[in-house]
Amino acid sequence: MSDRSEADRLKREGWFRRTVRRPEIGSFVVMVVIILGLLIASDGKAFNALGLKNNVKIISQFGIIAMGAALLMIAGEFDLSIGSMIGFAGMSMAMMLKWGLPFGLGEATPFLAFFFTLAMTLALGWAIGTIVVRSGLSSFIVTLAFLFFMRGVTEVAFRLINQSTQISGLPDFKQDSWFADLLGGEVFSWFYDLWFWLGDRFVQMGFERDSMWFLLGGNLNRRGEQWVEGFDARFLWFIVIAVVAWFILSRTQLGNWIYATGDNKESARANGVPVNRVKIGLFMFTAFCATMFAACQVFDTNTSDAAKGNLMELFAIAIAVVGGTLMSGGFGSVLGVVFGAITVGLVSNAVFFIPAIDGAWFRVFLGAILLAAVFANERIRKRITGGI
Amino acid sequence: MSKKPYMRVEGLVKKFGPFTALNGVDLAVHPGEVHALLGDNGAGKSTLIKILAGVHEPTSGRIFVEDQPVQFRSPRDATAAGIGTVYQDLALNQLMSVTRNFFMGRELKGAFGRLMMDEMDRIAHDEMLKIGIDISDPGQAVGTMSGGQRQTLAIARAIHFGAKVLILDEPTSALGQKQQMEVLKTMMRVRARGDIAIIFITHNEIHSKLVGDRFTFLALGQVIGAGTKAELEGEDIRRLMAGGAEIADLEKELEEI
Repeated sequence: MSDRSEADRLKREGWFRRTVRRPEIGSFVVMVVIILGLLIASDGKAFNALGLKNNVKIISQFGIIAMGAALLMIAGEFDLSIGSMIGFAGMSMAMMLKWGLPFGLGEATPFLAFFFTLAMTLALGWAIGTIVVRSGLSSFIVTLAFLFFMRGVTEVAFRLINQSTQISGLPDFKQDSWFADLLGGEVFSWFYDLWFWLGDRFVQMGFERDSMWFLLGGNLNRRGEQWVEGFDARFLWFIVIAVVAWFILSRTQLGNWIYATGDNKESARANGVPVNRVKIGLFMFTAFCATMFAACQVFDTNTSDAAKGNLMELFAIAIAVVGGTLMSGGFGSVLGVVFGAITVGLVSNAVFFIPAIDGAWFRVFLGAILLAAVFANERIRKRITGGI
Repeated sequence: MSKKPYMRVEGLVKKFGPFTALNGVDLAVHPGEVHALLGDNGAGKSTLIKILAGVHEPTSGRIFVEDQPVQFRSPRDATAAGIGTVYQDLALNQLMSVTRNFFMGRELKGAFGRLMMDEMDRIAHDEMLKIGIDISDPGQAVGTMSGGQRQTLAIARAIHFGAKVLILDEPTSALGQKQQMEVLKTMMRVRARGDIAIIFITHNEIHSKLVGDRFTFLALGQVIGAGTKAELEGEDIRRLMAGGAEIADLEKELEEI
């Protein structure tokens, strides 16, 4: 008999090979291709001062809800009620801001409207999670029921109280309330200030305003004033949610429980992982993400309507899958989902920067990369479980 | 072997409604010994280990751990009393790393609930090395490991979390020849530590003879034979395995068909 043991058959791979085999690599490559392609096709417009702001806005919107969907999917469940939850939360906040708090509690401040709404959406998330784990039914069907249920409730409530399915012309709360400003205002203005300052310097040194578009013209308008003030506050919330999700998933006990729950819930349970509590908690997390999405929208635009968030649950799931999350659970990464959100966000916005293309190409593209991602993810799963 | 048994059961009876699964079973397991538990399908082996693991409560009969009577109301009670059960499915998650499986549900936490990953990697590696497998990368997914390595991981995990009695439920049954031998070697390394009693449930007469110090044979819920290796010799084991039937009788019956 040879002195080789089984352990010798698996070589510890070098840095490069380990990087190439990371699950995020596929979504990373697609993202880089899209960024470069868009940069060239839009003649740089997609990443000038305003283009960047708009792209980051939609990327953040997608990213916030995809993060919730991805964590839940890693734990082995789906949530199809995200879109309706966005509509419900937006309706709830706008309605309180316009008509006052429920039960005659008086005038609503942005802070109170947000927290009353969050309490409701978290309770709904808890209810959905509890129904799923107690009944053992597929989360697909339970959350599909809530998709219809909550969209219906949103519309009915709008008509009963407001007589119309939209609210517009709310006062601009972010002028006075720091809380509304935190959700709907602008953040990271230093970035655009710096961009403006640099451009201004070059102009003073005698360069033409549009001679080096990115550095110079970037944040100067035609009169040479600052063009864009800052990113939407969503960007900050996307970063906060992504960092917290990354930390929890990869560095904490809870993260280990989430992976274990989605991988094989019986063996997780046998080792003392509170599987049901993990799942219920994650249904509440997707409800939280939907509420943040809605809050940023309401305080940014001072409007709301019953159709807000339509189809967002499907985008969230698609982005999670494009980001390398396994449909069957137990595997996925926050970084991959960030790449996925950037890719899908940029492509969905591309029509504004490349007027020649038809906007519907976005869905063609999304369908194609979704299918490709599912195959790639399945390959990774087979490689790990010994199928390849 | 004069050491006192770590765990002892007396007159264990388990009834499921009208069905008597166990009808007065006695068993004693000693540290540093492999106690082979043999019997045909339906003999009551699974019921017995589920009682020892705290999954079922016995209808009557008593369990002693270090001479103290104990009652297991849940698997948690049994684990706390030092009974570690490694079931056939091993309770491992394929997509997760060795370390994450090793500490599943019992992670080491630092400040802010942060996992002490380096410490956990080191412990998982060392504990597996102690019983014979040197894994090069504790970050490797369990799905990429062989059946024997997985068995070792599950055993190392049970020992690390305080098992004094290690119940192995048919650990060799789903493996190839070479890996069966690896598992037997692992068992002998655990035995050599001297402080852990192993209950080895198997169908395989040869395996039980290779590693067993003591034997208990179950048939139809009763002990039909028990003793040390020296007490039971040769043919006896095969006869008892078959639930008391003589192979010669079986040969005759087969010829008559």
